[in-house]
Amino acid sequence: MEASRELKFETPTFFKRIKGMLGVDFYRLFHTPLFYIFLGIAAIIPAMLIAMTGMAGPDGTPSQPLFTNVWHAIAAEAPVYGFEGIDKYANMNMVFIFGGIMVSIFIGHDYKSGYVKQLFTTHAKKQDYMTSKSLTCAFAMACMCVAYLFGAIVAGALTQTSFSVNAGNLVCAVLGKLVMSLGWASLYTFLNIVFRRYFGISIASSFFFGTGILVIGIGAIAGNSPVLNLFLYGSSVYACLSSTIVNVLVCLAVSAAWAVIYNVLGTLVLSKCDVY
Amino acid sequence: MNAIEIRNLSKSFRGMYAVDNLNMTVPVGAIYGFIGENGSGKSTTEKLICGHLVPDGGEIKLFGKDYKDAGVRVRVGALIENAGCFPGSSVRTNLMMQAINLGLENPDEEIARVLKIVRMEDSAHIKFKSCSLGMKQRIGIAMALLGEPALLILDEPINGLDTDGMRIMREILVDITQTYGCTVLISSHILGELEKIATHYGIIRQGKMIREISAKEMESRARVFVSLKTKDASGAKSVLAKKYGDVREEDGYLRVYDVDETEEIVDYLYKNGHVVSEIEKNKIGLEEYYIEVMSSKKEER
Repeated sequence: MEASRELKFETPTFFKRIKGMLGVDFYRLFHTPLFYIFLGIAAIIPAMLIAMTGMAGPDGTPSQPLFTNVWHAIAAEAPVYGFEGIDKYANMNMVFIFGGIMVSIFIGHDYKSGYVKQLFTTHAKKQDYMTSKSLTCAFAMACMCVAYLFGAIVAGALTQTSFSVNAGNLVCAVLGKLVMSLGWASLYTFLNIVFRRYFGISIASSFFFGTGILVIGIGAIAGNSPVLNLFLYGSSVYACLSSTIVNVLVCLAVSAAWAVIYNVLGTLVLSKCDVY
Repeated sequence: MNAIEIRNLSKSFRGMYAVDNLNMTVPVGAIYGFIGENGSGKSTTEKLICGHLVPDGGEIKLFGKDYKDAGVRVRVGALIENAGCFPGSSVRTNLMMQAINLGLENPDEEIARVLKIVRMEDSAHIKFKSCSLGMKQRIGIAMALLGEPALLILDEPINGLDTDGMRIMREILVDITQTYGCTVLISSHILGELEKIATHYGIIRQGKMIREISAKEMESRARVFVSLKTKDASGAKSVLAKKYGDVREEDGYLRVYDVDETEEIVDYLYKNGHVVSEIEKNKIGLEEYYIEVMSSKKEER
């Protein structure tokens, strides 16, 4: 190898840079057990909700099933922002809570292992890290949503729960939830960047925001205001079983807008602060 | 063109300057030994060059370009503090991740190449957590070598290694600079080992660069001295000081600088009532030079 060839410095394009970073993130995602464990968790949640609540209680009498229709485990009939019972709350939105924990562990391992040093040494642009992590984690959460859907269908079939639904509305609801993954993943990536030195706080903050407790609180006070759709949890709730293409577009717009905001903020934090 | 050019670089943590107006010049193709006490700012400087820390002020240029230039940074390899590998993954998987990160076209070939350089061709399947310290250090070097880096930054790569590990590491470093034309910035406390490979040195103290010198320059400046032992060291010192200009007492031995006539000294001391029990001719090496520079700077303060 000649020294003259060594000293050529070609500036990689954004797409080449992001391709490398995405490549390593997806490689890690598929080659470590974390992703598969959380897919399993996502599939088990609806199965437990549908199957176990219909089991017999200690006195032998069957308890009241939480859902009489399988698709209620996917989304509520109509957007309910405040807390109106567990049956309205416990649906595919729970994937975003567990997804937050997965993102925290995924990013936390970068720092714990020291691998993040390799990434930041070779990637001068901090934007690469934010974008790649957001997209990879969004994909992982979308997969968790699909696993949740399969879990619900299998559990519904086994317990012979009703499957009646308007297929178009259901597809729109599921699509709405899927596109929300990007916004949630960006939020969690941002939180984990901010609390990168404190793994416990990263997980706790992801869990806190994932529960949607802030929007639920506002919803309890202000009622079911459509303004709440501007927030990630609000839009996730808006993707309900009465969804149309409008709901999907609202979810897409809100998710993309928050993804951009969190990516800009995350890049700013990484650029202005010590990264390791 | 210099591989690294740093001007007035500063970095503070909670008001305390870890790097204070540091200037540094590393020529292309050099093996630059970066020396200093614990907490002198070596690792902080290296982290600043790698972009892990944000400087308070100053300028860092790599190969004449700003250190934030993506084209330059993709040609920088680093081993700072640890290898930065996932412990549960195999050596090969860790290298594959870095190869993908760098967007290498033939990752398998590249991995085979770097494993050969670090003499670990048969250890690719081992989980990183099962590797010995020496192996981990070599894997760290292999990670840093992926993608044919133009600049390699190594923070204490020989710390904790046994004699054989140090020898292998030394051979690897000489090999990569000679074969691949790579510039190496290496910090280490083990000056004897550094002396065998470095072409340039930088001595840092309390965040400031106090001396930069090439190995050739140091060799030409190297002072000879005679090291000797007597029963009454302080008495002999005052006797010697009357005839010879620079006499110092270190670790129970007297050092008479710029002299290499042992017989003359023995005779002179004997005539003045001091019997020499040990005497040896010496030349100032890196360790002595480092001690001398550090002590002169302490006196200046």
